[in-house]
Amino acid sequence: MSEVQHGALRLKVDRIEAVTPEINRYTFSAEDGSWLPPFSGGSHVRVLIPFEEETRRNAYSLMSSPYDTSKYQIAVRRIDEGKRGSLAMHRNVREGDVLLVTTPANLFPVSKHARHHLFIAGGVGVTPIYAQLEELSVKGGSFELHLAVRGPEHAALGRELKALYGDRVTVYGDGDGSRLNSSEILAGRPLGTHTYVCGPARMVNDVIDAAHALGWTESHIHYERFEDLGSTGSPFSVTLARSGAVIEVSPEQSLLEAAEEAGHKLPYLCRGGACGECETEVLELEGTIDHRDDWLSESERCTNKLIMPCVSRATCTKLVLNA
Amino acid sequence: MLITGIKSRPVYDELTPMASGLRHVAAAQGSGGEPLLRLLGEMDPAQLAATTVLYSIESFTGRNHLADLKKHQVRDLFVFPTNAEAVRGLDTVLATAQMGTRLYLSGSEGFIGTSMQVATSYGMNRDEVLREHAGSFVRRVWCAHCGHYSENVTRRVFQCPGCERNLVVRDHYSGRLAAFQGVKADGEVPGELPEDEELDT
Repeated sequence: MSEVQHGALRLKVDRIEAVTPEINRYTFSAEDGSWLPPFSGGSHVRVLIPFEEETRRNAYSLMSSPYDTSKYQIAVRRIDEGKRGSLAMHRNVREGDVLLVTTPANLFPVSKHARHHLFIAGGVGVTPIYAQLEELSVKGGSFELHLAVRGPEHAALGRELKALYGDRVTVYGDGDGSRLNSSEILAGRPLGTHTYVCGPARMVNDVIDAAHALGWTESHIHYERFEDLGSTGSPFSVTLARSGAVIEVSPEQSLLEAAEEAGHKLPYLCRGGACGECETEVLELEGTIDHRDDWLSESERCTNKLIMPCVSRATCTKLVLNA
Repeated sequence: MLITGIKSRPVYDELTPMASGLRHVAAAQGSGGEPLLRLLGEMDPAQLAATTVLYSIESFTGRNHLADLKKHQVRDLFVFPTNAEAVRGLDTVLATAQMGTRLYLSGSEGFIGTSMQVATSYGMNRDEVLREHAGSFVRRVWCAHCGHYSENVTRRVFQCPGCERNLVVRDHYSGRLAAFQGVKADGEVPGELPEDEELDT
C-alpha cells in the first residue's frame, strides 16, 4: 500500500474530465503504482493545491468505488472568488501532475442499522453519495437519492447516477421545472429511515429543520456542510514538549497537519474532532484554546488541559503540548 | 431504581413525554402500569390523542392497573393477557409506524428487553425510546447450551427446562438476547454445584 509522507500521499493525476461548465472530475492513482489506503462511502481527502507561494488544503469527497483502491476520484467545482484553491485546480493542474493528498477520513458514513437510506443533495454535494450508493448497492441496502441541480447543463452527474440506479434517483431542476421539497421527501417515512444531506448550508439547514418538524431524532439525521471540513483560522505556534520542536500552524492547516508536515507522528483516526484518538495534554498555555471538537465535555474544555489537534486551534502567545 | 454492580445491566430511564414526537406508543406490563399512568398524566390532550397504549395484565407481583388506564382518553388501548402477546402486539403497531414516533416501555426487565428487541428490529434508536423498570428484578435467562429462555428466574442455580442441565446464572446481561446468561453449573467438576442464593430481585 502507498506510503504516507508527512501525512499525505503522492498521487498522479491520471485523468481530468469536464462534467459540467463548473465541475471537473479528477482521477488519481498512486505515483508508484501501489494500492491506495481503503476508504468507506462518505470519506473525504484534502488536496494540497500549490497556489502562488502558498498551499491551499481543500477538502473533497471521494466519489469512486470504495471497493476499488487502485484509484481515487474527486469532483471539483470551480469557485472564482474566495481563496481560489478550486480555481488553481481547474487552471493549473494537468494530467500527469503529482499532487499531495491526505489519507481519507470519514465524517459522513452510512448507518449500519438503517432500514432505508434517504439521500438529499444539492449540486456538487452529490459526490460523497456516489461512493455511499456504490457501498449500499454492493452490501444490499435500500436507498433513494433526491438531487437538486441549477439547470440541465449542471445535471450530468445526476444523469450518470440515474443511469446506474434508475427510479431510485430523482433529479430536480434538469429542465422540467421540478423543485426539491425536503418536507415532502421526508414525510410519512417508516421507522428506521435515515437521511443524509450534503449541499449548500441553506439546503442542509432546510432538511434538518424539516426532519425536526416531522419528529425525527438526531440519530437519524446525517449531514455534511461544504464549509465544515478542515480547521482554518489565525496562525499560531505550538511547542511539542517531547522533542522541543516549535511548529508553526498556518491559517490553512490544522495543528495535526502542521505537525505531520514537520515530520512528527501524532495519533489520529477521524481527523474531524469526533473519535477522541488525537486527544493531547496541554502542559502550558498563555492565551485561549478554540475548541472545535465534538469529543471533549464542556467541563474538560473549561479546564484547558486537553486539546484535539485535528480540529482545534489556539489564540496564544505560548502553547506547549505533551506530544 | 435498583443499583447493582452488573455493568451490562441496562440503565433505565424515567418515563416522561418526549415533546418532539408526533406519535407515541407506550407498552407496559403488570407493575409497569404505574409509570405508564404517570406518563399519561403528564401528557397534554393532543399528545394523549396521538398515543397508542399496549398493556399486558400478566404480572409476577400480581399488580393490575387496567382500571386506571381506561380513564385516560388515548387514541387506542390494547389489552393483552400475556407479555408475549403484548410484545407481538407491539410488533404489529411498529410495523406501520412512521418516523416521528416515540416509544415508552415499562415493566419487568424481560418485558422491556424483548420489547426493545422488536423496536431495534424496526430501526428505532435509543433517542426515540424511554424505558422505566417497575416491579421485581426477576431475571430472564438464556441457556448457553440449548438456547432456551427461562422467564422469572429468582435463584442463582436452577434447572434449565429446555435441556435439564443445572445452570448457574451469570451476572452478565445481553441486550441483543434481552437475557442474562445461564451456563452449566458443574461444568468444571461434575456434580459439584456452586452455592445457590436468592438473586437480587
